[in-house]
Amino acid sequence: MVLNSSFTPRNFCEQSEKASHDATLRAVLDHATRYFMAKRGAALNAFADRETHFARARSARLTALSRLPELLEQLEQNATRAGTQVHWATDAAEARAIITGIAQGCGAKVVVKGKSMVTEEIALNPALEATGPDGIEVWETDLGEFIVQLAGEPPSHIIAPAIHKSRADVAALFREKLGLAALDDGTSIPELTLLARRALREKFLAADLGVTGVNIAVAETGSLILVENEGNIRMSTTCPPVHVAVMSLEKVAATLEDAADVLRVLPRSATGQKMSSYVSVLTGPRRANEPNVENDGAREAHLVILDNGRSEVLSDPLLREALLCFRCGACLNSCPVYQTIGGHAYGSVYSGPIGALLSSLLLPAKDTRDLPFGCTLCGACKKTCPLSIDHPKLMLRLRERVCAGRPGFASAAHTFLALHPLAYRLAVGAARAVDPNLDLLPRLPGLPSGVAQFADTRQLPELKRCFSAQLRDDRKNQGRKNQGRKKEGRKKQGGA
Amino acid sequence: MRIKLMIPCLVEDCLPEIGLAVVSVLERLGLGVDHPRVQTCCGQMAFKTGDVARARALALRSLDIFAGTGPVICPSGSCTKMLRTYPELFEPGSPEHARALDLAGRTFEFCAFVLTLPGAPDFGARLNARAALHRSCQLDGSEAPQRLMEAVRGLTLLEPERPERCCGFGGLFSLQFPAVSESLLEDKAHELLALEPDLLISAEPSCLMNIGGYLARLGRPVRALHAAQVLDLGLTGGASWS
Repeated sequence: MVLNSSFTPRNFCEQSEKASHDATLRAVLDHATRYFMAKRGAALNAFADRETHFARARSARLTALSRLPELLEQLEQNATRAGTQVHWATDAAEARAIITGIAQGCGAKVVVKGKSMVTEEIALNPALEATGPDGIEVWETDLGEFIVQLAGEPPSHIIAPAIHKSRADVAALFREKLGLAALDDGTSIPELTLLARRALREKFLAADLGVTGVNIAVAETGSLILVENEGNIRMSTTCPPVHVAVMSLEKVAATLEDAADVLRVLPRSATGQKMSSYVSVLTGPRRANEPNVENDGAREAHLVILDNGRSEVLSDPLLREALLCFRCGACLNSCPVYQTIGGHAYGSVYSGPIGALLSSLLLPAKDTRDLPFGCTLCGACKKTCPLSIDHPKLMLRLRERVCAGRPGFASAAHTFLALHPLAYRLAVGAARAVDPNLDLLPRLPGLPSGVAQFADTRQLPELKRCFSAQLRDDRKNQGRKNQGRKKEGRKKQGGA
Repeated sequence: MRIKLMIPCLVEDCLPEIGLAVVSVLERLGLGVDHPRVQTCCGQMAFKTGDVARARALALRSLDIFAGTGPVICPSGSCTKMLRTYPELFEPGSPEHARALDLAGRTFEFCAFVLTLPGAPDFGARLNARAALHRSCQLDGSEAPQRLMEAVRGLTLLEPERPERCCGFGGLFSLQFPAVSESLLEDKAHELLALEPDLLISAEPSCLMNIGGYLARLGRPVRALHAAQVLDLGLTGGASWS
């Protein structure tokens, strides 16, 4: 599947159809999602008192949402006290303006980035690249993000941005984009990683600004916690003189203890690790003149707190549950639809079950009408979610919003008949008389085009003499038999 | 004990043999079976398309149809779930909400209910066959069908690689996203056929229709039976498929 800029959630139906026909994509996704699920399963099996830890993580997230305004104020105060400059952004445009402003302020020519979905959400890279007379060079430094950046694509998974790429895809990409003409498709993953590492090392050293997301912001200390496995986030926050962290406002935790409760679950659920290889806790910029404190890190630290529609979501008592999510990505791996179509088909930054929810909540309603319907309500996501987010229930609420009392023809017709039993029986009776094998059904006008495709691939059931009528007949026959038996019995008794 | 039978619309007109098997098994196990008339649809289709107002109207019909006391038994996980969702459709404290709560509390999926009867799970059924069991995501991880089928003598029960993975039906999902639905179904069929079964068993009629219909189109037909039909066959005469 070739990605182009016409991919939007508006075309979710067509895009998912196209993706499901891509055999290579399906094979790559099948392999990768199984790998993630297996690793995760093993980690969770070895996790003593798992349910207790899940409940504690959920509790920490619930606390964050229920005390959000107060905690964010506290975060601002404590982060400011630690020397971090805190900025508030109502929407993506404001966030972009703040960050490009900081970049210009420090005369940045090269920016290195840690993997961050929220910077994808605000489309930061193109904005930075268009900043200043010559533009700013922006480098994604997470291996997966680096790969999709070279390919000119958005990430297709919350934690594994290049999950849709095979090893050969990556080799071909490096050959072309990194000028490595001799690279063959069979190059091993460690070798490919080393090549990316070499290319990126220069960028870290040249960077004027590092931009990252935030996994958890601790209100009581003003600290920002970042988890990763490649060390690139630590490099992005320590090599360049200036660091900008961007967080969506729900990523706060009240206390370090709450943060620990979240950290105990997040890596296990995301990558099947007890803990990520790197966990950075950043509390303000370097303090070079103070004795007995760590004096490394960026000289200047910024925190951008982004709303972008979330406050409104918070006011809905049911849908706000989507904001509990800490982006472990497990629901994507467990979702049969995601396993089949991948992330790009969703046409928005967040994909899979949680992505369909978040995009529906954060993007304009007219663009996301189909997202909550691209789900079989099988519940694999809910079962997988360590925070017990009830995705199917939220999906149904979103469907209610989209439907707004005006269902499609098939559903409306079915419901009308179901509410009028006599009409229902007449309709089914007529259909059975005319077309018992439902051969004509796919050609009926007004039905969704999918009916024809459905009938094409599955033998449709035939309309039979209905259960009620068959039961009535059975009971009549039974009654007659019983009466017959009684009569016989009386005769015998009479004869004796 | 008398029970009330809730028959899904798909069973009423397309798979009546499932309903008849349910009646036969329950009566054989000593229960009185009432089938309240003029049942149409539980409202699941409307509910899942987001048409909550009409789902509520259909729920009200069901509240009348199944009024009274005693268990309501339904041979479908998803319809059972819909009846159990009725309380969410009404204002807490309203008389309808109270009635919905009452109905939800006495509605049971067929297999789960049969497992509570004296003598369960082994009622002496026998059926010689290799059977692939499709658990169906709509049964929310219930082990009831598996436990019931395991007790059928002569039945070799096989489970596909990913037993609870969705078969891709999803009601209107299969019409709005036919290609994705078909891909999921293709995966499911592949995993089931790998078991080389004589029979396909599930406790969810819509999955049986979906998978069975696909296997038939594929030219690899496998007889698709509801767990109730397996019990019925197993109790009446020890049929064999091997």
